[in-house]
Amino acid sequence: MNKLHRDISSMAGHLLKVATKHLPSRYVASRIFIPSVAYHKERIGNREVVGFGLNGEPSYIDRTDFPMPAIRFKENSQEIITLREKEKDDWRKLTMDEKKALYRASFCQTFAEMKAPTGEWKSVLAGTLVAMSLTIWIYVWMKKFVYQPMPESFSPERKAAQFQRMIDLRINPIEGLTSNYDYENNRWKD
Amino acid sequence: MFRIAIQRGFSCVKNIQSVIIPYYAKIQPAAVTSVRSMSKHSTETDEEFDARYEAYFNRTDIDGWDVRKAMNDLQGMDLVPEPKIMIAALRACRRVNDYALAVRFLEAVKDKCGTRMKEIYPFLLQEVRPTLDELGICTPEEMGYDKPELHLENVYDIH
Repeated sequence: MNKLHRDISSMAGHLLKVATKHLPSRYVASRIFIPSVAYHKERIGNREVVGFGLNGEPSYIDRTDFPMPAIRFKENSQEIITLREKEKDDWRKLTMDEKKALYRASFCQTFAEMKAPTGEWKSVLAGTLVAMSLTIWIYVWMKKFVYQPMPESFSPERKAAQFQRMIDLRINPIEGLTSNYDYENNRWKD
Repeated sequence: MFRIAIQRGFSCVKNIQSVIIPYYAKIQPAAVTSVRSMSKHSTETDEEFDARYEAYFNRTDIDGWDVRKAMNDLQGMDLVPEPKIMIAALRACRRVNDYALAVRFLEAVKDKCGTRMKEIYPFLLQEVRPTLDELGICTPEEMGYDKPELHLENVYDIH
């Protein structure tokens, strides 16, 4: 499959060269029009392409629902190549460090690291509470410095007088306010 | 008439196996899902599914590309792979000489157990243990990968 990829990208590059041969050089911006595979191949460097991946492009991503990405994580350095030779032999002969090195060569994060809690909820909650308290402080400032004083009809004596007027006017006598008032004995019903 | 009936009865008793067969046993078991159905709903049974994936991983000429494809497909399905599929997959990893792939597969299956990890994962490990010992694969727990080892900054948090 690696060979197929190589062949396709070299074929595509060759076709591009042929197609642009007769254009004046100032009209060809060769960096822009290279095919997708060649573009990715330039960016991944020496990494081995090992699978189809999420969408067919040779990119690496850690996902719990797509555990095997298209390319290995690390480039093929000398140590990794020697480890790969050792990998062809019995795996019981590998030390724990070698096994870990092999894993990290192919993958960036383990599942535990992918799923580790970030603690983001604490900052979110803190931010929300700070915003709420700021709002309340702004309201206090508004009440103190912006709003006019309340009219006199809001004082307790005036309110009591208005309430007595409501009783005298028989407001809502069937199911509402004065339905609970006993007019014979001039007091509230129990 | 009675004599004929009795003779008939005796021959029936002699050939009891060929005569007294429950009607449902005469129906041959259906051939493997060769029925064409118009919907995408699969008529494959669980055993057929398991056998198909086991056979796929057990191909001797399998290469890393196909192993990864099958593992990713399994991860996308609403199931935890049977131990025999897991064993076949681990042997396939051995055939393509990829140790990291085997450990990654074990981690992936553990993740598929979801909320019932404590019930399912120990059972799976117990079933797969002989193969793990034979091939020399360490479980993620033995490698210390059940807890996070390294930290990676989220790219969106880098300012």
